[in-house]
Amino acid sequence: MTHLTRRSILSLAALGAATATLAACSGGAATGGAAAAAYTAPAKDISATLTYAIWDAAQKPAMQKIVDLFNVQYPNIKVNIDVTPSKGSAYWTKIQTLASSDSLPDVFWMNGPKIKLYAENNQLLPLDGLAEAKAVDTSNYPKALVDLYTVGGKLYGVPKDFDTIALFYNKALLREAGVTEPTAAWTWDDLKTSGDKISKFYAGKGVYGFSGDLTGGQTSYYNTILGAGGSIISADGKKSGFDEAGSIAGLQFWRDIIDSGVSPNMQQLTDTLATDMFTSRKLALLMDASYIVGPTHAALGDDMGVVALPKGPTSNQGVIHGLANVIPANAKNPDAARAFVAFLGTKVAAEVQAETATVIPAFNDTQQAWVDAVPGAGLQVFLDAARTASPYPISKNTGAWNSLEGQLLPQAFAGTKPAADIAKDLATKMNEALSQEA
Amino acid sequence: MSNPTTELRAAPEAGPEEKPAPLRRRLVARGDGAWPWLFILPTVFGITVFYLWPIIQTFYYSFTKWGVFGGAKFIGLDNYVRLFSDSSIPQSLLNTIIYTLIVLMGIPIAVVLSALMESPGLKFAGFYRTLYFIPYITMPAAVGIVWRLVFNGDFGPINWFLSLLGIEGPYWTSTPGFALAAVATVGLWMSLGFNLIIIGAGLREIPQEIYEAAEMDGASRLRQFFSITVPLLTPSIFFVSVVTVISGFQLFDLLYVMMGKANLAMPQTQSLVYIFYNHAFLENDKGYAAAVGILILLIIAALTAVQFRVQRKWVNYV
Amino acid sequence: MSDSAIRAGRRVKRGRNAIAHVVLGGGGLLMIAPLIYQVIMSISTNAEVQSIPPTFWPSEVQWHNFADVFTVMNFGSSLRVSVLITMLRVVGQVILCSLAGYAFARMRFRGRGAILAVILSILMVPGQLFLIPQFQIVQNLGWLNTIAGIVAPGLFSAFGVFLMRQFFMGLPDELEDAARLDGANPFQIFSKIMMPLAANGLWALAIITVLWSWNDLLWPLVIASTQDAAPLSVGLANLQGEHANNYPILMAASLMAMAPILILFIAMQKKVMAGIGRSGLK
Repeated sequence: MTHLTRRSILSLAALGAATATLAACSGGAATGGAAAAAYTAPAKDISATLTYAIWDAAQKPAMQKIVDLFNVQYPNIKVNIDVTPSKGSAYWTKIQTLASSDSLPDVFWMNGPKIKLYAENNQLLPLDGLAEAKAVDTSNYPKALVDLYTVGGKLYGVPKDFDTIALFYNKALLREAGVTEPTAAWTWDDLKTSGDKISKFYAGKGVYGFSGDLTGGQTSYYNTILGAGGSIISADGKKSGFDEAGSIAGLQFWRDIIDSGVSPNMQQLTDTLATDMFTSRKLALLMDASYIVGPTHAALGDDMGVVALPKGPTSNQGVIHGLANVIPANAKNPDAARAFVAFLGTKVAAEVQAETATVIPAFNDTQQAWVDAVPGAGLQVFLDAARTASPYPISKNTGAWNSLEGQLLPQAFAGTKPAADIAKDLATKMNEALSQEA
Repeated sequence: MSNPTTELRAAPEAGPEEKPAPLRRRLVARGDGAWPWLFILPTVFGITVFYLWPIIQTFYYSFTKWGVFGGAKFIGLDNYVRLFSDSSIPQSLLNTIIYTLIVLMGIPIAVVLSALMESPGLKFAGFYRTLYFIPYITMPAAVGIVWRLVFNGDFGPINWFLSLLGIEGPYWTSTPGFALAAVATVGLWMSLGFNLIIIGAGLREIPQEIYEAAEMDGASRLRQFFSITVPLLTPSIFFVSVVTVISGFQLFDLLYVMMGKANLAMPQTQSLVYIFYNHAFLENDKGYAAAVGILILLIIAALTAVQFRVQRKWVNYV
Repeated sequence: MSDSAIRAGRRVKRGRNAIAHVVLGGGGLLMIAPLIYQVIMSISTNAEVQSIPPTFWPSEVQWHNFADVFTVMNFGSSLRVSVLITMLRVVGQVILCSLAGYAFARMRFRGRGAILAVILSILMVPGQLFLIPQFQIVQNLGWLNTIAGIVAPGLFSAFGVFLMRQFFMGLPDELEDAARLDGANPFQIFSKIMMPLAANGLWALAIITVLWSWNDLLWPLVIASTQDAAPLSVGLANLQGEHANNYPILMAASLMAMAPILILFIAMQKKVMAGIGRSGLK
């Protein structure tokens, strides 16, 4: 059943991607950057040295394995993998500094919040040539990801992996508290009731019912905003959605669970991230992203379970985000770099990623290996979530209003000010930031 | 020995008043020719290229809307006008001042500890000095993480200790007020070793005869501390306070490591440099960040100048 | 320790020193308490680090955390880079800053005060501000990913110049004048007479440069994009996980990174104390 559904969804995605590719072609012709855009796979004996910048040290072994496989085809292209952690913004501080002096790495990881900033400022090489030459087929990836990395009709990144959001739970903690395991039919009310029971059961022991990481929206309030029918940013990326009624309800959700003691308070969540509380068995239910499956399973073993997000007033829709591999506009070695990016986008490369169970590979039909890597945990829900998920909200300078969220929203969650007031204030300031982008 | 503090006083305006006139005439007559230029050339060259030029660039960019990846559009005084209407600036200036004042408290602590460490015939003095100096040589990034855990509201040792006394400790790094105190405590902890060494050396320069004379007159040890030690230490105290103020106004790393993002207490804790970093690297608003950078430069320069002026009233020169 | 000899003439009551031991010992314990906590964490499990109430001693000592550091980071290579860049910066600063500091302290030339004031103003600018311009310069020199690139800006130091100037100003004039009468040129006076006299100051500068260079993070992080050019500070930063922290390994690694400096400091304690101590007097 799931397979059937998935396939039909995929063909739909393929259609969408094809349209995107068509649009991209015409776009490419109009601006006429043909020399760089056209691509033919370079000769097998081409020699080059590439730097591949990534930020997750845990994924380095998988990336190295892919490089080794790539070197079977292109033995003379040496790829050096350079890891800079994204924690403390080190990775982006570095990439931005490199970009300011035209010395970006030959291939590097890109994320949603930054793609428009780099693409619209002409820092990236359009990769439509790869699609035209059939070296990359965009229909192989979820449409939401292809859309994310298509800016102004041109494809700038080849999707690498994706992450979706689900509800994690600790089977042992639930059992002890006498609370039934969550199901896909759960609503926000079910979550609150069960969470409350758990918090009360463990009162005084520092164990809580339910929470999420409120230091950013992706794994927490973005999903409740969507679930309550709100939005973060308008489709054209010009207007904030934080002041919509649904968005306010989505923010209020977190205030309520903190207020009622279902969740640790805002200060506790800043001191110890919800994810860390969950892995140290201090939290029974957690809204979080697929990328924590590896470390969480390592800490909790078979006590870890996962289920689809509970339904809010409108839906149980969450966000989908994913990384892509990109090449700088002034690539020193565009052919070698594109050959490598094309290889990173192949099924073979995706399968390597799937086996290591770090992230869900973006290449369709390779994800099952990722699900199977942790049998019995119900990881399929992350793939199912991808079908209905909303693309990660971005604009040209996402960083500007992400920073505003970080400044204002903690007050709403802590109850220092009413969520509605904060939401309106945030929307006003975010709109101001958006108007500065042009 | 010569009087060192006179020179320190002259540092920022290292000019005419520095040496008595006859000596100066002699020096000029002597004439060093091209030699001084040979001596300073490598440094002046390197500093111009790597430090001065960036400051000049920043000054220029503070009048522009500076593209994330280069390309600046001149917008006159707009960034500075915005600086005055930005409510986070006065608050973070206040935070920076409070932080600096708390770290300055390390100076009286260092004076008392040094006086004890230099007690005649004290055993293990070298051991104590090492003990107090160790925090100064730790890696700030690693130490920030340790302190973050030490201050953790749920499993940190501080709150555990307080709970033994029946006190429920706050969430130190995420409660407004407490967060700044926690960060400043770490700042004080890190700088104490440096302060101790400088003040300790100052203590050792105080002629022993003065104490002996005071003892003959029957002055208590406490009295000796306040009427001999402290006044004669003022030059060292002054040096340490100048260094503390300059580094206090550059607070950034500790905040970054200890507070994390989206911290409820951030508005009441963030420093000017933190705001600078936010605008430059997170919000991609480098023109405005440049204006904040220039503001920081001006404030520190003004404060240092004031310190040098006011010192004449309280620093004793033997 | 030895300073106590200076004070031999002064009569002391033992009771006073008992108070000193109590205060200094108690304070000293507070000073190193976080580091003791760090040591305990480094031999605990990750779960023990985050347990409530805190466990103050691991149920089983995890010495392997230290061995594990070698598998999660290239410790040897990073150590080599750290030592190399630190040595180069120390040599560079000691030579360049003492030359310039001497000229500013003891020579007269047009614009001396103005040039010094400009150099001092650099101390007042937050370091992050230099990042992008310095990067562009190093890139134009073609020094990205090289030891030269990491080291170059750190060869010059406004603080070092200021520090050395203060030292040279405190030295007596007589020796210098005598040498001049003997026909020595300014460089000979500087290298043969003044440098040996400023030994304490040079030590102070060397130690401060070592500490700064060893812990310097942002600049090498940006400039060294290949692993074999990354010093310890960068290797340590890279240990921080994306989605989960392994605190014990992180603590073990940072203790190992700190160890060489600690040993160096203890071995040269007297010179360090004398050197840095003197800087405050000038």
